[in-house]
Amino acid sequence: MSSEKRLVGRRLLRPAWPVRPERTFRRWRYPFTKRPVLNLTGKFNPITLKREMVLTDKKPMFWLVGLSALLLLPVASGTERVLTLFGIACIYAAINVMWTLIIGTAGLQSFATLATVGVGSYGAGYLSVTYGIAWPLMLIVGLLLGALMGFVISLPARRLDGLYYALLTLGLSEFMRNFVTQSDALGGKFNGALFGVAKIVPTLGTPRLTQTVVFITTFVLLLLALAVFRAVNGGRIGLMLKTAATSKEDESFASAIGIDFQRARLWVFMIASGALGFIGAFYSATVGGTSLQIFSLDLLLLMLAMIVIGGLGRAEGAVIGTVIVVFITQWFVDWGPWRIVVVGVLALLSVLYTRNGLFGLKAQLREIRTRRQTLHRAATTGRYAEFLPQEAPEIGDKSVIAKRVFERDLRGRLRSWISPDLIAEHERKPLGQHSDHLERMLNYFRKAPIPDKYAVYCEEPFARYRVVALSGLPGVPPRVVDDKVYDSLDAAYHAVFLRRVNDLRAS
Amino acid sequence: MLDVVFSGLVLSSVYGLVAIGISLTWASIGMLNLAQGFIFTAGGYSAYLFSQVAADRGVSGPALSIGTVVAGMLGAAVFGLAVGGLAFLPLQDRDNFRTRSLIATLAISLIGTQVWLIIFGPQSKPLPQIFGDGVVQVGDASVTYGQLGGIVVAALTLAAVIMWMRSSRSGLQMRAMMMNPLGAAVVGVSVRTTGMRVLAISGALTGLSAVLLGQVFFVSPTSGVTPLTVGLIISLAGGLGSIPGTVVAAGLMGFAEAITARYLEQSYVPFVLFGLVVLILVFRPRGLGGLLEDVRE
Repeated sequence: MSSEKRLVGRRLLRPAWPVRPERTFRRWRYPFTKRPVLNLTGKFNPITLKREMVLTDKKPMFWLVGLSALLLLPVASGTERVLTLFGIACIYAAINVMWTLIIGTAGLQSFATLATVGVGSYGAGYLSVTYGIAWPLMLIVGLLLGALMGFVISLPARRLDGLYYALLTLGLSEFMRNFVTQSDALGGKFNGALFGVAKIVPTLGTPRLTQTVVFITTFVLLLLALAVFRAVNGGRIGLMLKTAATSKEDESFASAIGIDFQRARLWVFMIASGALGFIGAFYSATVGGTSLQIFSLDLLLLMLAMIVIGGLGRAEGAVIGTVIVVFITQWFVDWGPWRIVVVGVLALLSVLYTRNGLFGLKAQLREIRTRRQTLHRAATTGRYAEFLPQEAPEIGDKSVIAKRVFERDLRGRLRSWISPDLIAEHERKPLGQHSDHLERMLNYFRKAPIPDKYAVYCEEPFARYRVVALSGLPGVPPRVVDDKVYDSLDAAYHAVFLRRVNDLRAS
Repeated sequence: MLDVVFSGLVLSSVYGLVAIGISLTWASIGMLNLAQGFIFTAGGYSAYLFSQVAADRGVSGPALSIGTVVAGMLGAAVFGLAVGGLAFLPLQDRDNFRTRSLIATLAISLIGTQVWLIIFGPQSKPLPQIFGDGVVQVGDASVTYGQLGGIVVAALTLAAVIMWMRSSRSGLQMRAMMMNPLGAAVVGVSVRTTGMRVLAISGALTGLSAVLLGQVFFVSPTSGVTPLTVGLIISLAGGLGSIPGTVVAAGLMGFAEAITARYLEQSYVPFVLFGLVVLILVFRPRGLGGLLEDVRE
């Protein structure tokens, strides 16, 4: 980053690097795509008079810092409790990222997330317990089961819109729970819990080492989920869905330009469901079992709270919200039910007072600040009277404002000089040396922009003159302003002067 | 065979009340009240508290029964208003109201379960048998007083609600809001007052169903989940906002549940219900209510 101080007023801070012409500047790309890793643009710095590369999108840096912190903090702290906490956070975050894919990218308000996870978890766990399949096979089974589940529950999504679908899927977890409780193969034995599933990470030397490795695998799972999110949301299919994102009109527009958004939605739903089943199987294989808790409505609501606190529809919101909520629920265990109440209150507050959770806060605060400033400007109207107060924040270049203010003041001063004496002076002698006030006024008139500027048109030399207004456009002739004809040039000059004085009075 | 009919009727009348509450709320103020499960438990607990206090003072017989029902309905109505105050009034005129109020009600139900857990503990609480103990022989089936009373009370309440909607001024206001919220507001129907009234009434219906179901299942912090999910399914199948559709759907679902539990296996019940709803919605996205309207036309 350059060493000079940046950041002036409200301008965004954009990290900048000097461009070194002797070294060829190579843009890195994400593998197999044309997308650059960092969104850099070249810029000229008017202060140092040098070329710079400016980072316009700072997100990759924040992701790098955040994810490194998420990986390094627990490993460095090394206590088993912290490692377990962040391991859980990683798994939940992976689930939430996939859920974000369904809600945000596909725009399907589905609550079937945990049901899908549970299907993957129970299916793979059951096969592992009964037939002793190894964990890689379990993950594949989970993926397939999740995708199958996704296919089945996406069938009604084609016909139902929005909240109806939310209602339909909200009950699914509860139904799955009932099924598991009452089915003999799964629930009969230990109140629905499965034990003895093959583990991904075998027991290593010390418990701490085992926990560390388990945590790292869960972190890798989160990275995988984020990669899937990025690939789907940032890819072609995500772009297609963005066209049909917000309203019915958008949907009509999308289908009009040939985007089959329904199909794209179902694809995203299937992909996300498959990933959720995979996460379920992963969960079974990490914990070594699974329990009915995965189908409880409270867990579903807790996960929703995570997404809502972080910000609906954004991967970073899902991750941060999950970390916050998991921290509250796992760290303050001795608070008992109160910690869930705290999470619920946080979720309620973020619904009531923020537009889109933690990550929508920045835009919201900026908007509030802009509104305040506008109101302030409207109240202290003096400086900004040259335009409507509400357009003030939209004018980026403050010198425009200064110029308008200067011209207004100038006009005011000139207007105060208009008098019969002044006009008589001009009538006596339109050209030549004038008094100071008249000279200044004429200078101001001369500076006026060409469009609609008054001029003298000679119809017949020394006999017929008229006042015209210039069009300001090449090829477009001036228009005649009135039908008065003046017999001398001086009279015509004075007529133009009078018109200009009139305009100045009216301004 | 007849006992299947009766158990189906009981289930459908109890869940139908919850479903009608959800359906009315959605149709008139456009809010999906997913805190209905929380309101359900609120009704159950207030009935429980009343019965405890009344039993201490030596109240018994019909006074206890009526008092329990009224306490359950009142308590649930108050909590319905509270949910409205938290999720409806502050959000009502903001953009994205539907999604935000949905999330708000979900957050409320998340908080609510834990609050019950803190206050009442995880143990289930029994409600008094308001219809007394006893069995009536109807044909070859034996029906308990509880079942019979549940059906009758639910039917009466439903009739009262329909009467209210048909013939009272506030019912007219509510129907106006169901047809066209903006138009209703323009001609001077207060969206907020009517909305809160609807929330109180649907809360009372839910409270009644809590008392009725409390005859069979005990009240516990999470006992609202099943009524909520089944109520959602029924109101969806009935077409949100249509009372006749909801009643038909409730009957259908209740019988489907009873028949499945009887002739197949209890664990298939969820799938049968879910499959039935999906089937209805795939062919009739507006639910049975839409079908009824088409037939009438």
